[in-house]
Amino acid sequence: MLSDRPITPSTLGVKDLPWQIKWDKDLCTQCGRCTSVCPVSAIELGVFRKRTIVTPAGLRKKPSNEHSIFYGIRQKTDPAYGCIGCSMCNMVCPNNAIQPNRDEGSTTMKFHNDRGGQPRTRGGRRNSEESLLDQIKFMRISMLTDPALDAGRHEFSLNTLIGRIQSPEESLKCMAENGWKPPVREIYPLIIGGMSFGALSPNMWEGLQMGVAYLNEELGMPVRISTGEGGCPPRLLRSKFLKYVILQIASGYFGWDEIIHAIPEMKVDPCAIEIKYGQGAKPGDGGLLMWHKVNKLIAAIRGVPRGISLPSPPTHQTQYSIEESVAKMIQSMSMAWGFRVPVYPKISASSTSLAVLNNLTRNPYAAGLAIDGEDGGTGAAYNVSMNHMGHPIASNLRDCYNALVTTGQQNELPLIAGGGIGKSGNLAANAAALIMLGASAVQVGKYVMQAGAGCLGSEKDRCNVCNIGICPKGITSQDPRLYRRLDPEKVAERVVDFYLSFDTEIKKIIAPLGRSSSLPIGMSDALGISDRDAAERLGIKYVV
Amino acid sequence: MATKKVCISGVEDGLRLESRILEEIIQKNVREGARKLEIDALGQHGIGGRLWISKDEPIEIDVLGSPGQRLGSKGFPGTTINVHGSVSDDVGWLNAGAEIIVHGDGTNGACNAMAQGKVVISGNLGARGMTMTKTNPRFDPPELWVLGTVGDYFAEFMAGGTAVVCGYKGQNTENVLGYRPCVGMVGGRIFVRGPHDGFSQSDAILEPINDADWAWLTENLKINLAKINKSYLYEKLIDRTDWELIRAKTPFEKTGKVRLSMTEFRAKVWDEELGRGGLIGDLTDLDRSPIGLVPSGILRRYVPVWENSKYEAPCQSSCPSGIPVQERWQLVRDGLVDEAVDLALAYTPFPATVCGYLCPNLCMDGCTRGLKKMIPVDITKLGRAGVNSKAPKLPALSGKKVAVIGGGPAGISIAWQIRMKGHEAVVYDMAKTLGGKIASAIPSSRIPKEVLDAELKRAAEVIPHVHLHKKMDSDDFAELKQANDAVVLAIGAQKPRMIPIPGHEMITPALTFLQNSVAGKAKVGKKVVIIGAGNVGCDVATECGRLGAKSITLIDIQEPASFGKERKEAEEAGAKFKWPCFTQEVTKKGVLLKSGELLEADTVILSIGDTPDVEFLPEGIALDRGHVVVNENYQTTDPKVYAIGDTVRPGLLTHAIGHGRKAAEVIDDIFTGRRPEVHPKEVIDYSRMTLEYFDPRLTEFSDMNQCATECSSCGSCRDCGLCETVCPQMAITRNSLEGKKFEMYCDPDKCIGCGFCANVCPCGIWNLVDNTPLG
Repeated sequence: MLSDRPITPSTLGVKDLPWQIKWDKDLCTQCGRCTSVCPVSAIELGVFRKRTIVTPAGLRKKPSNEHSIFYGIRQKTDPAYGCIGCSMCNMVCPNNAIQPNRDEGSTTMKFHNDRGGQPRTRGGRRNSEESLLDQIKFMRISMLTDPALDAGRHEFSLNTLIGRIQSPEESLKCMAENGWKPPVREIYPLIIGGMSFGALSPNMWEGLQMGVAYLNEELGMPVRISTGEGGCPPRLLRSKFLKYVILQIASGYFGWDEIIHAIPEMKVDPCAIEIKYGQGAKPGDGGLLMWHKVNKLIAAIRGVPRGISLPSPPTHQTQYSIEESVAKMIQSMSMAWGFRVPVYPKISASSTSLAVLNNLTRNPYAAGLAIDGEDGGTGAAYNVSMNHMGHPIASNLRDCYNALVTTGQQNELPLIAGGGIGKSGNLAANAAALIMLGASAVQVGKYVMQAGAGCLGSEKDRCNVCNIGICPKGITSQDPRLYRRLDPEKVAERVVDFYLSFDTEIKKIIAPLGRSSSLPIGMSDALGISDRDAAERLGIKYVV
Repeated sequence: MATKKVCISGVEDGLRLESRILEEIIQKNVREGARKLEIDALGQHGIGGRLWISKDEPIEIDVLGSPGQRLGSKGFPGTTINVHGSVSDDVGWLNAGAEIIVHGDGTNGACNAMAQGKVVISGNLGARGMTMTKTNPRFDPPELWVLGTVGDYFAEFMAGGTAVVCGYKGQNTENVLGYRPCVGMVGGRIFVRGPHDGFSQSDAILEPINDADWAWLTENLKINLAKINKSYLYEKLIDRTDWELIRAKTPFEKTGKVRLSMTEFRAKVWDEELGRGGLIGDLTDLDRSPIGLVPSGILRRYVPVWENSKYEAPCQSSCPSGIPVQERWQLVRDGLVDEAVDLALAYTPFPATVCGYLCPNLCMDGCTRGLKKMIPVDITKLGRAGVNSKAPKLPALSGKKVAVIGGGPAGISIAWQIRMKGHEAVVYDMAKTLGGKIASAIPSSRIPKEVLDAELKRAAEVIPHVHLHKKMDSDDFAELKQANDAVVLAIGAQKPRMIPIPGHEMITPALTFLQNSVAGKAKVGKKVVIIGAGNVGCDVATECGRLGAKSITLIDIQEPASFGKERKEAEEAGAKFKWPCFTQEVTKKGVLLKSGELLEADTVILSIGDTPDVEFLPEGIALDRGHVVVNENYQTTDPKVYAIGDTVRPGLLTHAIGHGRKAAEVIDDIFTGRRPEVHPKEVIDYSRMTLEYFDPRLTEFSDMNQCATECSSCGSCRDCGLCETVCPQMAITRNSLEGKKFEMYCDPDKCIGCGFCANVCPCGIWNLVDNTPLG
């Protein structure tokens, strides 16, 4: 930008940007790698003119001016090219000469990211580092009271059940009377939540699926993964790996005709069907896959022509009430696999969650309820939805669990919690807290991208450009130039690593509780928190 | 040395002695010389521990009855304890050297943390035997001998010593080692005889029993069987094939569970099940293999494009005559000054007159350098040099004829261009010589007469001129049209606009005044009021000043539109500008404004523009407020008739010249059967140029060479070689083409799309564009 042009209200200086490039002239070799890799072209080679005033001592000669030119990396200040802090420049710099620094005091850009009247959209999750889950402590440590278990030595059964879990008497009765009983799956309690083929790159999606298959086939861990709404590759539908997959159906119904066509050819049933009604990151809002992202591959998997925009509306078009929706959708999806596959809805945590739950308890085909809290991630949403909409997961889950306890159904209808689990890296602790507050299983998505693929996003608003197809790690891009940065095998290895690590950590948490043979679902007497209001609200101990 | 045997009962007066009391009694007796003790126990804790006199004075203890937990715990070397029955939990706990022979069974926790010594069990053991045992290099390792079987969780965290499980008539003959033995085992070994359900494979390993081990085992088996009085079993137990040896893995052997690598899994399990290409191998043939972060070639995200001459330079674009200014400076840089000067003649017949003197030089207003407040490259230097340019060689005539009515700048320009294109153009004008207003109405202060004369002479050499002696009428016009292939109206605007106010007859039109002035016939009073403060008004004011006016006032109904040299010179002549002023009437005293104010004046000159004198035009040619209407090809509503210059709309000399050139192109297109196309090049975006290379402190150019050096050559490569030098990948090379032409070539296999070339280019040639989308 030319310095002597009139400024506009949105003219920014480097100091106004949240991410500021720190560049070291002495270290830089001007190799061009940083400007090549920058996903937003925030930096460029600057041509600088240096003025030197040469003044001979004693003024023996007339002073003179000398101008010389030097080159260096310059940060652009146009908000359209604002640095996102991903730090890929640093990653490729041979001399560690460049990196973005976050300037907490520079908030000007926040007021100017609505050019053309378009409010900001982005990927990531709520830009807040607070985490109630992190504050929860596990403070019932059995040393002499209960059999104190050793996470390294004892055998644990960490698996959980998804499906309508009937008592033996009920089950027998149901079978005798109806010739059918609800399907139940024994699965690992950490589920990879729905991230669609389309939201994720093909390499990322394959990496996750491969990692899940490995965990099952090689390590015997019954880990499950939800497809998200974007269909499912035909080969996966017709493979033995389908049993590790939870097929998601959402308001866009993408790829479902392909799934239906595949049913007669399926070797195995899918693990479950997840009906998505809402998402914690953007409650009450839908999605739109822009036409230019609908390339050949996405089109094939979603069963659409290339180059048309794909809307997922905020609501299902045939949903008229909770009753209608729950009954109709669960019935339809159950019927698709002859009532052999558990079907459960996924909603965004909200003050209406209980109403949904109450409805499910009366529906014999409902196999559970997945609730996604406000800290859930997304590939694309309005900033305002992400930052300000939604309900924290802990209290919402707790209310639902307590409601089930009231009717004695807490062992019957599993609750699956999600949204911000592991947002500050504490996956096992957050998961254990939710399990002890009443979740039968937890779902993670953003953590999977971070741990599994090196996603750079953070709640300090780092990167968060999943929505515009320029993911510097190739996680959320459909551009082969970007997604080939990601090796599916390496993703799969990381998935295995973090699952194994989670497995050990969760044992480290539950072993001292004296639990080894079943998950401590709802074992809230083990929990404490130093916030009195939170303690009271969640019905756990207040400890200081 | 005391050798007496002492019998101690665990019961006194019918009451069980407390463990503490019994221990005190035992310690006291040993201190007092007892070396053989017989203890009739009743559940007392820790019997037989911590007994020490000296290395040479062993202590033997026989335990009758039922001992309590932790018998022999913290036992010392030299202590031998024979238990004539079974023991309770934790026998030999933390044993540091005692030999404990149990003639019955042991229960849970036997030998926990035993570091030295030996425990021999004639029967079976409960759970968690031999756990956490140690080996201290200073002492012999501990031993546990079990004739029968052991319970669950045997040898957990075992860190040393030897356990021997004979599996003889044990409690569980199906599995002599119990459930999950050896978890966390880090040291020691276990000889086991009989079936078992395996052990922790991650901690321990089976090893063949070598001869030395076997010799040790059989030798000690014999000794220990003797100790429990079961030597007769020896032969039954020494079938070497019955025995296995389990030892702790070394840290290096603890590699964890062997599992498939992900690469193997992908090949053997994943792709095997899904098919070649994995998950989506059937849907795409795109290469999805991993790449680095900074690839080249097709995998680059950005591609630099050398857009030489794709865009027009701002100077050329700003020039209504369309002169390629930057190209001329390039010629100067190339040392071809004459060519640079002469180049102008292809665009204008008046390089010196107009570019050098009369033009406000819009090219310089457009100059990129202005954006950084640097003085624009001075075209007048190049322009003035054009006075000496010779008329170019004329091409042969095509036979097509064009009549140009009007011999002013527009008429001369189009006739000049048409002749250059090989057609005949004849100018018809009332004046004796060519020139129009340029010759008749421009004050001599603005241009040296000899310059103008030279250029008019050069034009006259090329352009035939018909001197009309009477005003053209419609018959003349029809005749001209008939006789020519095209007719161009370049009649200028000669008819002064008047305002219908009282006293208007006292007003002198500006054009009349200026023509008189040039002819040396003009007179002014002391006080002059000029109505209309545009540039012509300014010229009038300057002339009035020259002719002796003392007070010169320019009035306008709005803020005056005058600018540049004209304005400056008028101000220097003492002219005052006044607005908004609405004239009421002109009287002998001066100009009376509607506001009631009187501006005193001896002379009142009206300078609010002129309109063409179009009386001779037929009705078929449309007019708009006195001016001739044309389309973008300068065609009037009669397609054979063109109109240019002030005839169309008032403008600068350079506009008239530009009209002439462009209309000539159209006429030539039509003559040669081409469809006239208007394809003005897009002007280059100012942000593409880099001005840092130029001297910001320059206030004046010394000569043409300095002008050329300081020109950024917007949009046209100046062949400076910066891109070649700056490219970190050595991807850019200069290729010479035919003649003096060249191109900059970027090798895609080397280029990483860093954009450096685009950033450093002074001329804005390189453009970094997105690479073609893949997939």
